[in-house]
Amino acid sequence: MPSSLDHAASTAAVLSELAFQRLYDANATNIHSYLLAVSARRDVADDLLQETFCRLLLHPKSTAHLDALELRRYLFRIATNLLRDRHRSGDTTPFADPPEPATHPTPDTTLDIARMLSALKPRERELLWLAYVEGMDHAEISAATGLNRLSVRTLLFRARHKAKQFLTPAEGSR
Amino acid sequence: MTPTDPTTNPTTTKPGAPRLASETWVSTNLPGDHLPENQLRRALRTYAATLAAEHTPPPAAAILFRVERRRRRLAIQRAERPLLIMQTLSIVSAIFAAAWLAYRFAPHTLPTLNPTTLALAVACTTLVLAGCWAMLHASRHPSA
Repeated sequence: MPSSLDHAASTAAVLSELAFQRLYDANATNIHSYLLAVSARRDVADDLLQETFCRLLLHPKSTAHLDALELRRYLFRIATNLLRDRHRSGDTTPFADPPEPATHPTPDTTLDIARMLSALKPRERELLWLAYVEGMDHAEISAATGLNRLSVRTLLFRARHKAKQFLTPAEGSR
Repeated sequence: MTPTDPTTNPTTTKPGAPRLASETWVSTNLPGDHLPENQLRRALRTYAATLAAEHTPPPAAAILFRVERRRRRLAIQRAERPLLIMQTLSIVSAIFAAAWLAYRFAPHTLPTLNPTTLALAVACTTLVLAGCWAMLHASRHPSA
């Protein structure tokens, strides 16, 4: 017969598992898309997503005081660091298996975003994604990437300029 | 218009937040640029939505399993740390003991060293060191 201590421990484990499931459901899709867009490889995105949440779970004390928004930023920070580690390690196979969507449901079919992203540097992809898809402001991007806030502003400006330059011919050809 | 103008900063709005009809970000376009900001945003978000629809993340259970496996490995490493320290100390002790044996049983002047004694001392030292190394190697790579 299980003791009360065992029962309390198992209850705590179930609760933390439920909390993790909620956290995962709320953030996994966004982070997975971010990793897919920056790495452009499904296998890498899957692996780094798992590693991101693993690191979060292995250091529960450092995240205990964070609210949902800070936790989200923290997760993006881990994911960004993992992407950079991968880039530094030399595993930078560029868009070997691009996760290009099969169909574009909107009229913007000429905007080849996948090709545009592949033409940008990884850091530019990160910044564009965090700014335009995740809707982060400069301070949040700074917290999520570890870059200086002023650097974020400058780098984002350049990334936006490059993206527009790449996409403008497609726009004009319509 | 410069990108430092907070009123035209495209990154200050949360996704899903209510947006004014006149808020088109066209004013932040660069000279000679024909692609409006909102079009870039819309295209990226559409791409993100399509990515999310076509590529589902791995299940949470897979991550929990990975975490559990890593926790166990870390626990094993923590438990083996004192053993590793003791093994390292034993190697150091063995080296000192072998050196002392060599000094004790060998003539004190190396030029007149008895070849048989020297050979025995060297063999003993080699055997002790090889045994320590094998023990360390086996403890670090249990599957080997």
